[in-house]
Amino acid sequence: MTDFGFTLSRSATVDLDRVDRSRYERLVALAPDARICMNCGSCGATCTAAPFSGMSLRKVLLGLQRGQDVRPLLDSCMLCGKCTMVCPRGINTRRLILSLSKVYD
Amino acid sequence: MKENVVIIGGGIAGMQAARELLLLGYNPMIVEQQDHLGGHVSRWHRLFPDLSSAQDLVRRLGEEISEANIFLETKVSYINRLSGGYLVMLTNGVSIPTKAILVASGFRLFDASRKEEYGYGVYDHVITNADLEAWFGGAPDSRIPSSPRSIGFVHCVGSRDLKAGNSQCSKVCCMTAVKQAIELKERFPDARVYCFYMDLRLFGKKYEDFYINAQEQWEVNFIRGRVSEVGETQDGQLQVKAEDTLVGKPLKLRLDLLVLMSGMLCNPDAAAIARMARLDVDSDGFLKSLDNLGGTTRSSRPGIFYAGACTGTKTVPEALAEARSAALDIHRYLQEA
Amino acid sequence: MIERFSSGFHPFVLPFLVGMFFVLGYCLVGIFRILAQLPREDRLKFYLSLITPKTAWKNIRDIFCDCLLHVKLWRRNRLLGYMHSSIAFGWFMIILLGHIEVILFLPERIHLFYYPIFFNYFVAETDSTIQGSLLFFLMDFFLLVILSGITLAIIKRVRSRLFGMRRTTRQSLTNQVGLYALWAIFPLRLLAESFTAHISGGSFLTIPANWVFRQFLGNDLNMLPTWWAYSIVLGVFMVVLPFSRYMHIPAEMMLIPLRNAGLKLRGARKGFARIQVLSCPSCGVCIDACPMSVSKANLKDCTVYLTRQLRRGNERRIAEISDKCLLCGKCEALCQVGVEGPELRIALRSERKYALSPAFKEVHPAAPAATGAKVLYYGGCMSQLVPSLGRSVVSILEKAGVDYQWMDRDGGICCGRPMLTAGRLEEAERIVKKNTEAILASGAEVLLVSCPICYRMFREKYTLPGVKVVHYAAYFQQLLSEGALVAERSDLCYVYHDPCELGRGCGIYEEPRRLLGQLSGIAEAPKSRQESICCGGSLGSLSLSFAQREKMTRAALDNLYASKADAIATACPLCQWTFSRYADRPVRDIAEVVDACTHGKQNNP
Repeated sequence: MTDFGFTLSRSATVDLDRVDRSRYERLVALAPDARICMNCGSCGATCTAAPFSGMSLRKVLLGLQRGQDVRPLLDSCMLCGKCTMVCPRGINTRRLILSLSKVYD
Repeated sequence: MKENVVIIGGGIAGMQAARELLLLGYNPMIVEQQDHLGGHVSRWHRLFPDLSSAQDLVRRLGEEISEANIFLETKVSYINRLSGGYLVMLTNGVSIPTKAILVASGFRLFDASRKEEYGYGVYDHVITNADLEAWFGGAPDSRIPSSPRSIGFVHCVGSRDLKAGNSQCSKVCCMTAVKQAIELKERFPDARVYCFYMDLRLFGKKYEDFYINAQEQWEVNFIRGRVSEVGETQDGQLQVKAEDTLVGKPLKLRLDLLVLMSGMLCNPDAAAIARMARLDVDSDGFLKSLDNLGGTTRSSRPGIFYAGACTGTKTVPEALAEARSAALDIHRYLQEA
Repeated sequence: MIERFSSGFHPFVLPFLVGMFFVLGYCLVGIFRILAQLPREDRLKFYLSLITPKTAWKNIRDIFCDCLLHVKLWRRNRLLGYMHSSIAFGWFMIILLGHIEVILFLPERIHLFYYPIFFNYFVAETDSTIQGSLLFFLMDFFLLVILSGITLAIIKRVRSRLFGMRRTTRQSLTNQVGLYALWAIFPLRLLAESFTAHISGGSFLTIPANWVFRQFLGNDLNMLPTWWAYSIVLGVFMVVLPFSRYMHIPAEMMLIPLRNAGLKLRGARKGFARIQVLSCPSCGVCIDACPMSVSKANLKDCTVYLTRQLRRGNERRIAEISDKCLLCGKCEALCQVGVEGPELRIALRSERKYALSPAFKEVHPAAPAATGAKVLYYGGCMSQLVPSLGRSVVSILEKAGVDYQWMDRDGGICCGRPMLTAGRLEEAERIVKKNTEAILASGAEVLLVSCPICYRMFREKYTLPGVKVVHYAAYFQQLLSEGALVAERSDLCYVYHDPCELGRGCGIYEEPRRLLGQLSGIAEAPKSRQESICCGGSLGSLSLSFAQREKMTRAALDNLYASKADAIATACPLCQWTFSRYADRPVRDIAEVVDACTHGKQNNP
């Protein structure tokens, strides 16, 4: 490749037109209550794993909708269920996480 | 003979409606279970958006209805259907024949101790919006430290929370929190004040000005994240945990005082009245209006009307306006009858 | 006693013989298959147990008590106990007596399988002996016992409530065929023997019946068709047996020795698990027991339907049923044959393949500082959502002057049980390892645990050399008896709710009650201890929605309200958290009660 003396840096913009939402859609098919998250952050605040890894189910769901790789976050989830208890929308977060493990294959 | 109108509930909506009904030439009879009129507002200190005195409002309304029949410390024991009207029996033994009943039973504040994770009643420095308002009004409260360095407000306690049994927005708490944050800063200028919110819903006249003022003049910190648990550090200081959702990181913060913004639920006594008068209860737990546009003050039963927070969360001006509107509806109903 | 037919044979025995050889063959093949499915070490363990006199004797005793006499069922419900044992034991006695008759009177025919069953058809009575009339009397007696049991069974089908059962299983077609065949066997036997009683002899039941029939029948033409019918229903019953719930009869006889050999469930499909599934008699005790039964939508998600679907191989329903369960263990506690409903479900969940398997690379619990404290308190995740618990425990320990350290005050890691119950066994193992390292590093001698979920996990899945895992109820009891804490009785009356994981999970029912009883009044709910109703908050369920759980919580609360106590006490932060949302009276952890009703040795209040 010809060296033009400069490189193209990756855009910092989330281009929603191009984002791959297929994983999110597969998740929603398995766990429809993923759609009702209102991003309050309760799950991330109470998460047992959050102090170590910054795990937050809210971030996982949002990241998935923006086409990000959320696997590193899921690596620390202990399925302890605290997020299920604090979710004000009553999302079954543990089922969501188990379903997430299925959409990555 | 003046026509009777029974008003169930002597809060500001009931009082305002009584005033209008007096002017229209009726004989309003207020049934109030407390020993004074004014309801929740009588226990409040200052009202947004003008920071006017809540006591003044209640006093002024009270003066205007001095001619009305008022039964204090009384409840409705049952309501009998008569031809073309009702017979309302009270716990004091009085029975009133009437063609129209106005239900203005208002709301109840969510019991913050039901949200165990916030530690209301467990920790020494956790109070509610109502506790704080009573303290502003002069009641002593040992839970409020003499010179707090950091104060937190938790929005949506018992509102927008399925687990607390109320998934609706209580709509006044955001504004109340901003108001109370400013009032606390007035008293404790050196304290840092934090508001933990999910969405700031500052929809009314001048509310946004309050918000800007809170940021600009009072330097209140707004953090977008719902507090999920309140702990205590080794040295006994409160510590809240939330996610700073804008930064995307878990956050913890030590506090000297935590104020929980308890939400509004329908008064449980309204359910009893609904059973007696065969009224419908809506899915949100409040009484169900005929419709939610032009018929908010009308019920599905002839001669039974609503005003104020018994049909849903209302601000003070909304409750007063609805009371005036209900009085007119009652007037037209009695004219036609 | 002489033989009526020199051949000793009549074609009417064929249906019976076909059925019997079929069922015997089926069971023999089944036994070999099950044994082959067992892992080698389990198989050896099983063989060894068969030749160990203690377990061998226990096997015989258990089979006799459980399969024939239904002792466990008697304890639970006398009417149901009588119904089952009258049929099972009565039938057993009839077969046994039949053999004795053949051995006594026609020993040369004992090799014919059908002879003891159809004895009365093949013989004619020549003279009556005491032995003979005693045998005939016993035969009639046990037939009467069975018939009374069958009558009860028929009443139970129509009116199960009379037997204390609100709901019974909906039976499949093969089960119904089996059921009607079983009902028909004994009345037909009575008829057949009655028709022959003037030839073969009989006793108090068959002889009068024979006399009555002869008053208007005048000939013996009914005799043979009745014996045919009797043989046919026996044959039908035995042919459908392997495909119906009656398979539980032979299966349970295999299950008992396997269990006595100390085998544990491995997987949900084969070997020991398969025998458990086949042993389910489909009686439906678990339907009323299941806390999910408060919602009609969940009626078919209890263990009896799981075993049924496992037999049918309906994978969609198997997944649904295994995910929904709260794992409260009540079905297992009340099960008459010992089907391990929760463990079967965990095993089924563990079959799932997940692409992601957390390695917990970032998760490092802070090792507790080596303060020299002998007592390490592990509050668990829930203690952070129920702050009153941790505060009370700390206050008690301080009052009693205990040198302690709170391991997860600022947040630790999970005990691993929620991961385990989700069926992710390896991942749970990884969490256990992380916690084990942290606990051992602290140098503590006592690990004090307040959450029953964690406590069960520590007891069952952790190896902590030198560290004693102690439940806080026992520990507070010890502080009281040592005098480190001094009780001040309160006037309140508490009803104690048994948390599933503590009661049925760890067998701890009495300690919390004893503790509460010392400090306050104590009342019992109608359903308590083994029969305690799950609060509905359990993490065991992977799919129940919040709304469905609410109904269960309210049902559990109603049971507690029935005690008329002033307040509810429990020993599980999850139960407390769940109940507090809806309860009309205070819900307290026992630690809160202990804290409120005691003072330290030195400082009087």
